[in-house]
Amino acid sequence: MLDGFEILTTSGVVLWSKSYAPVSSSVIDSFIRDVFIEEKVLPGASVADDTSATQNPSYKRDQYTLKWASVKDMGLIFVAVYQSLLHLSWIDKLLDNIRIIFVDLYKDQLRKPHTSVVECDFDGYFDQQIRELESAAEKNPTRIAQPLLAELTPPSSSESGHEGPPPPLPGLAPGYLKKQQINGDSTDASPIPTPDTSRPSTPAAHILAGKSGPKGGSRRARKAVTNPANVSSGDERKAKPKKETGKKMRRWDADGLADEEDGAVLDYSAQSPQENGAAKSEYISGVDSIDSQSFGTRTTKGQFVLKDLDSEVHSILEGANEKKAQSSSSKSGLVGSSLGAISGLFRNVVGGNVLTKEDLVKPIRAIEEHLLNKNVAREAAVRLCEGVERELIGVKTASFESVETTIRSAMESSLRRILTPTTSLDILRSISSVTSPSQLNPLSPQPRPYVISIVGVNGVGKSTNLSKLAFFLLQNRFNLLIAACDTFRSGAVEQLRVHARNLKELAEREKLGKVELYEKGYGKDAANIAKDAVAYAAQQHFDVVLIDTAGRRHNDTRLMSNLEKFGNFANPDKILMVGEALVGSDSVGQARSFNAAFGSKRRLDGFIISKCDTVGDMVGTLVSMVHATGIPVVFLGVGQHYGDLRTLNVSWAVDMLMT
Amino acid sequence: MTWTDSQSWASSLMGPTPLAVSIAILLVLTIPLFLHLLIYRSTTSTTLPSFLLVGPSGAGKTALLTLFERGQHAETRTSQVPLSVEVSLPVSTKAVSSKYRSVNDPSNQAHKKFLLADTPGHGKLRHHAFDSVIKPQNLKGIIFMVDAADMSMGTSGAGNEPLHQAAEYLHDILLLLQKRSTRSKTSKAPRELPVLIAANKLDLFTALPPPLVKTALESEISNVRSSRATGLLDSGIGMNDLDIGEEKEWLGNGGDGKFEFSQMDEVNIAVSVAGGNVLGADESDVKQWWDWIAGNL
Repeated sequence: MLDGFEILTTSGVVLWSKSYAPVSSSVIDSFIRDVFIEEKVLPGASVADDTSATQNPSYKRDQYTLKWASVKDMGLIFVAVYQSLLHLSWIDKLLDNIRIIFVDLYKDQLRKPHTSVVECDFDGYFDQQIRELESAAEKNPTRIAQPLLAELTPPSSSESGHEGPPPPLPGLAPGYLKKQQINGDSTDASPIPTPDTSRPSTPAAHILAGKSGPKGGSRRARKAVTNPANVSSGDERKAKPKKETGKKMRRWDADGLADEEDGAVLDYSAQSPQENGAAKSEYISGVDSIDSQSFGTRTTKGQFVLKDLDSEVHSILEGANEKKAQSSSSKSGLVGSSLGAISGLFRNVVGGNVLTKEDLVKPIRAIEEHLLNKNVAREAAVRLCEGVERELIGVKTASFESVETTIRSAMESSLRRILTPTTSLDILRSISSVTSPSQLNPLSPQPRPYVISIVGVNGVGKSTNLSKLAFFLLQNRFNLLIAACDTFRSGAVEQLRVHARNLKELAEREKLGKVELYEKGYGKDAANIAKDAVAYAAQQHFDVVLIDTAGRRHNDTRLMSNLEKFGNFANPDKILMVGEALVGSDSVGQARSFNAAFGSKRRLDGFIISKCDTVGDMVGTLVSMVHATGIPVVFLGVGQHYGDLRTLNVSWAVDMLMT
Repeated sequence: MTWTDSQSWASSLMGPTPLAVSIAILLVLTIPLFLHLLIYRSTTSTTLPSFLLVGPSGAGKTALLTLFERGQHAETRTSQVPLSVEVSLPVSTKAVSSKYRSVNDPSNQAHKKFLLADTPGHGKLRHHAFDSVIKPQNLKGIIFMVDAADMSMGTSGAGNEPLHQAAEYLHDILLLLQKRSTRSKTSKAPRELPVLIAANKLDLFTALPPPLVKTALESEISNVRSSRATGLLDSGIGMNDLDIGEEKEWLGNGGDGKFEFSQMDEVNIAVSVAGGNVLGADESDVKQWWDWIAGNL
């Protein structure tokens, strides 16, 4: 059973919510953070106008599963929260329907600038949807992919949850419905298949809707006897029942709904006959289906109080489907297409163009090519472009802005978002917090050396960057121990020894910190040496231990498996991976395998991208590596000297990539 | 066609024909009206004064925004996009600009309105806030919200992550504001821009009182400043040849010693600290913040 449902804006205000069981707000906060801001969970590959719930992967947190749908141009997110143990097959449908209904009812209020208030009285609509979808799921389980047994469990658990104090559960519905079933073939079910069958946005929707129309009519035949005027369908009679339903809605609104809403709804239902007038012969079948529905709800009105709401909701859903069908069919005409092309060209210059997938294909391809030329790995470039496309479809371009500039700025902001780290990367501060914890707090841990280990593929410059880092830390008057854990490649220890000697001389000349090399020769186990080095450093009161490791190919499982043990033994505070800016598509694979190599508990903490001076403006590797793992770039190597280490300036990198 | 020709259009225009007379009268009557409209339209269409809400995620920015707008707070979640709403001062507080207005002045209502712009506080989305600090539109002040309950006692040194995050963000904002004055081309000092540090959630037991929030932030900003000073250079510097002459800038007195908010007065930024709470067991207490806003409106 549903635990909660929320409608919130991207600016963070909850517009409407309903909870059946207390759900901590941190669940939804972390959902927003992980899905929308940090993009840890990547949305599905397919791109839709407005992301509907079926295409979004569900998000799991604690014992909850969250499903969501969104409307981009209004900045709305619809979230449903339920226990992961349950299998609610109708959640997607619920989200989609609620999305359509909510946007339709309150679109005027949502478009208002400079306000966060949306006055909505949405409870009735929501309850109606829940009841309807639940009953549909219960009645014809064949339509749902779940086996019958699994289908039977949710109602029982709902019954148990229904004893709790919160507002009337939708779990009430099954019992309520069973009574109806006994009474006879209830009319409740027929409206549901109708929107469902006309769902596909192809022109064929009319035919499907036409089919469903007569079916509904036959079922209600015996009731129709009481009102013979409506049985015969014709163009002149169409207007009459419409009017009557309109009146009825108004009466219902007087009972409880806000006045402004009924205007919008009435307007909506009045709109469809007009449209039909324009293209009579084409849409008659579609209109008939609406007619028979409004008629059906009217006859049953005596029995069910909420029937009016049903008809209102259905007319909204129908309207949305019809609009979709019309927009897809209207494109087919020859005159229409050429006119559309001209106005599209015009709009491209002036702006105010609502972007569609077709508009975006070419410019997106161009920008993808541009990113590939900047040495971004293909996988990352494709996914970035898909993200931008998803973001832009259905968005209106600003005035005097072409599609290209819009895409460009969207790409810039998404690059910026990717490269900006989530947390502070101040390495000096984190070192000092470990080596000299605050004296005031008795709970703070004992001082211990801060351990940084450096990993990477062969020849990317691990030792060089390690000594650059050592030089930087020496300048900040830390005492360093460099541990030579590359016990594999001949000359590795000697190389570090040279570095250590140079640094020692520099430090003595400039009165900086002290530095020492910890070495145990070749052929030993690296993890053990690292552990010993950390113990030695703690004993000798060193501040920082820098551990150099052997280079390993990321697809060599034997060597990579050593890393997990190494991580456990040395227990580094920071594991930095060195990647070179020269590498192309392989960077994604390297970053992923190294990130996964430390077992399930440990991840990389950052990247050092070396040899940035050799690639000019082709700094795509930055993006590829960060995009693949979500781990920030901590340092850049920009030259041959000890001082040539930099932190990443995000706007510089974005400039480089976009020029 | 010459000037002497009585039939030419020029001479007929000068002559006392009814058409010429009527055109002249029309022009005389409409020009003042037109000028009036032109002048007064342009003054009324100025943007409302605005205040900017910044601060780390979870401090209560959006909650404050909804509280100011509606009189009661709404439920909020993590923001992803900036939002600006129109807010008017409550009846009890009076804007400083309408000090000399009569109580019955009908334009009082108009002078009580302002825009409150909320920005997302998540680390990846702070560029929204920085952008609106750089390109302000009739910006009257910045409200920096912090969660006073999250900066636990005694650990004002190292290892207090929320405090550090807040201090780093505040440091960046203040540095941007300082650059605004030091980088300006003219010798004229930029307009004064007040900053309010709003210590939120004072209703909670663990909350620090506002004066302690101030000292905690000051000492943490000193730490941030010193670690920035000894830190590495940005990749942007030195790699393009264009901005090689540009040097890094330090916040406050050349960047050494202890940082105090009073050092910002030099660049026309007045920093004040006030406490309050948006949510609360009894009710929200935002009186001090209203007063501050009214004082700067």
